[in-house]
Amino acid sequence: MKSDHQAILVGRECFSPGLFSVTFEAGDLASRVVPGQFAMLEIPERIRPYLRRAYSVADANPARGTVEFLVKTVGPGTRALEELTDRSAVRLLAPLGNGFSNTDLKAGCSVAIVGGGIGAAPFPLLLRKLSAANVASDLFLGGRRAADLAFRSRFSGAGAASTHLATEDGSLGHKGFVTEIFREAARRKKYDRVFACGPMPMFAALAPIVHELGLQAEFSTEADMGCGFGVCLGCVIPGAEKPFIVSCTEGPILPPERIAWERLRP
Amino acid sequence: MTASAIEVQLGPLRLKNPILTASGTFGYGLEFADFVDLSAIGGLCTKGLSLRPHAGNVPARICETPAGMLNAIGLQNVGVSAFAEEKLPRLRALGATTIANVWGDTEEDYVTVVAALEGVDGIAAIELNISCPNVEKGGMLFGNSPSATASLVARVRKATQRPLIVKLSPNAPDLVESARAASGAGADVLSLINTLVGMAIDAETARPRLSFGTGGLSGPAIKPIALRMVFQVARALPQVPLMGIGGISHLDDVLEFLAAGASAVQVGTANFKEPGVSGRLVKELETYCASRGVTVPSLIGRAHRFGQDREAGAEG
Repeated sequence: MKSDHQAILVGRECFSPGLFSVTFEAGDLASRVVPGQFAMLEIPERIRPYLRRAYSVADANPARGTVEFLVKTVGPGTRALEELTDRSAVRLLAPLGNGFSNTDLKAGCSVAIVGGGIGAAPFPLLLRKLSAANVASDLFLGGRRAADLAFRSRFSGAGAASTHLATEDGSLGHKGFVTEIFREAARRKKYDRVFACGPMPMFAALAPIVHELGLQAEFSTEADMGCGFGVCLGCVIPGAEKPFIVSCTEGPILPPERIAWERLRP
Repeated sequence: MTASAIEVQLGPLRLKNPILTASGTFGYGLEFADFVDLSAIGGLCTKGLSLRPHAGNVPARICETPAGMLNAIGLQNVGVSAFAEEKLPRLRALGATTIANVWGDTEEDYVTVVAALEGVDGIAAIELNISCPNVEKGGMLFGNSPSATASLVARVRKATQRPLIVKLSPNAPDLVESARAASGAGADVLSLINTLVGMAIDAETARPRLSFGTGGLSGPAIKPIALRMVFQVARALPQVPLMGIGGISHLDDVLEFLAAGASAVQVGTANFKEPGVSGRLVKELETYCASRGVTVPSLIGRAHRFGQDREAGAEG
């Protein structure tokens, strides 16, 4: 059940300018959250941003009672989070959303995990859960330039069987898109499932690839959210079987075939 | 101090306290059951209900603005039948005071929806949305002309025995005339204000941030305007009970709207940010009244006893 947690900042790590992680003590949240779920975070006493912001839970440590978020500074909300001092209090409405379906995968299965930029945020927890279940994960990370992937150290030790990198400017790994290196790998190896998170253009490129290869996939979709629990109806995504999918409660994890790609706002 | 210190009477509508939640910001109430004891708040206004389920506008539907937000949801809702069959029984079981917010494209639509709810148990009042800025027709049309308002309210009045609330548009050319028209045609209570039409544009791409182009502005940004409008209508129509709406999230906001002449308030956008806000305000108001030895009715309209020194020679 979701609840509004008082959380205390207990750790931070800076990967590159504007790319960081923050860790909060948040009661029993760490033991209740599953990979792919998110929190609506509020920094109290701030008029800007006025609304809470949605952040995927990057990792959780039930023994310590901590949850971690990977963040890229893009505006006033993320900047306020970056400037937060040690032991500051925030409010976390969580856990929200459906989460990835990873628990039905049997030992010996293999999956691909595809992340675009800060879209990789929910993957450390997912990788660790998969690794604990003896599911082999190939991790594919892409960004515009090397600095966008400065957080990749956060993934070493999380249990990926292999890691493949791509940057648009060629400053790290393959020169080009992450979807290109994923496609090459997926042609050689039959993945039991593909988990992906990134910007909508990456999803738009990935959807036809998984369709063509007949792969089962789950995308962690991105939409501006006003509330995070199904009330404001601001975060809807055009649906294939019905007009709109409410991203925060019916998602954010959705199979690509449920999304009406042609009706997405360009 | 007994609980009755915070009870309020708005015409035929008796409420255990003056803290309600505004339509469009509280879903069907059930979404808040983890955060708020629905039986403890004065009432909840449902998402606007229409005759048939309505899909709403294409995204992008919301964007944040300084001290508030714009929305152009477009009245997405499950329809009156699904509400009555699936949501209302659960609201009754939770002890909620439910106010059904209703909209339509035509007068006939409104009357049909209200009539469909007439035989259903568990609705304390009807609230007419005549002021949604985010649909092509309907809504706004009825709120923007006093004669259209009067005609619609008179027809709905005949269709229901329940207390009838009409939610006024701040976008109407003359708010007091709209209020007079609604009240004269049989509204028991007026609620104000709905959102103000606004716009946001992406500075980089020059593209409007909402797909609909414009949207309804809400949140603390609109509070001074809402407060002025409540004050103005209370002054012009002192006998008409009012519910104040607009940027309410603190106890002081509640006290200010009561002072301006509202007998109750509806908490809106703050529900997104702090889902438990309505329950918190009930407790804070209770404590306030107990510690001061006052009742809520004694707090209503207090701002009107002060003169407005508008001629005094100050410049600027």
